[in-house]
Amino acid sequence: MSEPLRWWHWLLLPAVLAAALLHLGTGDGPSLAAVLAQWLAPGGNPADAIDQYIVLQIRLPRLVVALCGGAALAMAGTVMQASFRNPLAAPDLVGTAAGAALGGVLAVVSQLADESVLATPLCSLAGAGAVTWLVFALAGSHGRISVAALLLAGVALNTLVGAVTAFAVTFTFANYTASSRLLFWLMGGLDGRTWEHAGITAIGCVLFAAAIAPKARALDLLTLRDDSAYSLGVDAPRVRRWLLWCACGLTACTVANTGGIAFVGLVVPHLARLLVGPLHRRLLPFAAGLGGLLLVGSDLTCQLAPPESNLPLGVVTALLGAPYFLFLLARHRRGEAL
Amino acid sequence: MTALVARGLELRRGPRTVLAGVDVAVRPGELVLLAGRNGAGKSTLLRVLLGVERPAAGQVVLHDRAIGSWPAAARARALAFVPQDTETPFEFTGRELVAMGRHPHRRPGAGLAPDDFAAIDRALAAVDAERFADRSVTTLSGGEQRRIAVARALATEAPLLLLDEPTSNLDLEHALQLVGLLERLARAGRGILVASHDLNLLGARCDRAVLLHDGRVYADGVPTEALADANVAIVFGVAAKPAQGFFPRDYRLPEGVTPDLLR
Repeated sequence: MSEPLRWWHWLLLPAVLAAALLHLGTGDGPSLAAVLAQWLAPGGNPADAIDQYIVLQIRLPRLVVALCGGAALAMAGTVMQASFRNPLAAPDLVGTAAGAALGGVLAVVSQLADESVLATPLCSLAGAGAVTWLVFALAGSHGRISVAALLLAGVALNTLVGAVTAFAVTFTFANYTASSRLLFWLMGGLDGRTWEHAGITAIGCVLFAAAIAPKARALDLLTLRDDSAYSLGVDAPRVRRWLLWCACGLTACTVANTGGIAFVGLVVPHLARLLVGPLHRRLLPFAAGLGGLLLVGSDLTCQLAPPESNLPLGVVTALLGAPYFLFLLARHRRGEAL
Repeated sequence: MTALVARGLELRRGPRTVLAGVDVAVRPGELVLLAGRNGAGKSTLLRVLLGVERPAAGQVVLHDRAIGSWPAAARARALAFVPQDTETPFEFTGRELVAMGRHPHRRPGAGLAPDDFAAIDRALAAVDAERFADRSVTTLSGGEQRRIAVARALATEAPLLLLDEPTSNLDLEHALQLVGLLERLARAGRGILVASHDLNLLGARCDRAVLLHDGRVYADGVPTEALADANVAIVFGVAAKPAQGFFPRDYRLPEGVTPDLLR
């Protein structure tokens, strides 16, 4: 029914692969060529073992978090935009990401994070779910959510939750190392990611994506009015609740391991829709690939920046996302759909 | 045969009574007009009949079974709906939107089958929308979007249709064309309930008219009786004769006569 995939749509796959290989070869330590040469010639020496440790224990988990985190945020944004019937919905604008960040900070401040590796993602999930539900309740009227109401509720709760998060961080000021680590985490970054972080991000991304995939057609119908969706056999409020929980899960499992990553959830679904159209059977996987590519590319930018700049990942995604937002604004002023 | 029957429907919104003991039925083969002032409860009644909104009292029965007890897909194959407003902020093509009408016929994960494509093409042809079916719906005029919405309802192939203001935003030709299509569908056995303010157009063409007034059915009968001067005066507060066939059934210009010749 939709246009067939064009050959250049398939370029996304080699682009992701190339970015991943480049990412794997970037940073202090061996070059990609050296690592590949080692892998192709088994039976290395102690120096090879160090190189392999750098690649397998430092760079690879970082790459997995970037790929899966970008994919998760992009899918969360795609699901939210359809569920809210609003092209401006996204985890960072609706307050989901802020809620997840608050949950993560509370897990650290309350020292729950020291007890279990799952504490931060679970607290992030609770925070993301609570804030999303609040925005939905505040902005909705008779099952419909206007752009203005969504933005107002999102701005209000983002501000409120941001203030509570900042207040919670002050409890760590007695411990300089802990507080600076927390502040850097809030700005978003992938430094020091381990396989524990990568595992949680990847498993969360795969599980929630698997839960969303069978609902791709229902997502198409959710973009209609609720009574239209109902007349076509989709109980919109029930399906929307389920999908928003999945979007919160995707956001939480990412934010808990990457901190605040701005704009990926807003910009990538738009870009993917421009490239492959609005049908979710195609849009969801394409947005996931594009999100992974964007975050891997952004992390590469951070790593290639001068070391003294300490460029946080969230700043790069914001620098990429804000101009795209302005591009959308220009389209809108020309009378085109957002 | 599938029929939609509602008895004793009551619904309140805060202090306001929206529906107060409404009885209404749509049977196979009839085109029914639902009319009333703004805020009379027409759209709410359609939502209750559809099952998306539950009444405080009364029940809606679709083919001898309470509407709420129908499996979602089976209900969607039996009862289709065209809403009043423009629907999606996203750039679906008209054809993609009409294809959504096949959702209740498709198994989870299944693509469109040849039957689905045929039904979509028939629906688009019925509303004369093939010309703009592959354009983004956000670039279509209000009337074109309306025809796409009607086509989606037709693509479900449901024997019962509920339409909320289907002629709003339509130019005269396409309004007449749509009403003609609804008449033909009714003659072919479908039951159709149309909420509309277009009494001139539909009053002369429907089989039955139902007038809603203050949440109650004020009149229900053949158009000449239900839309009689006295009823129209009471329900709408105006003196008018809407059921006298202002628009003839054969509204097309005689063969060989073009609009230019009439100038």
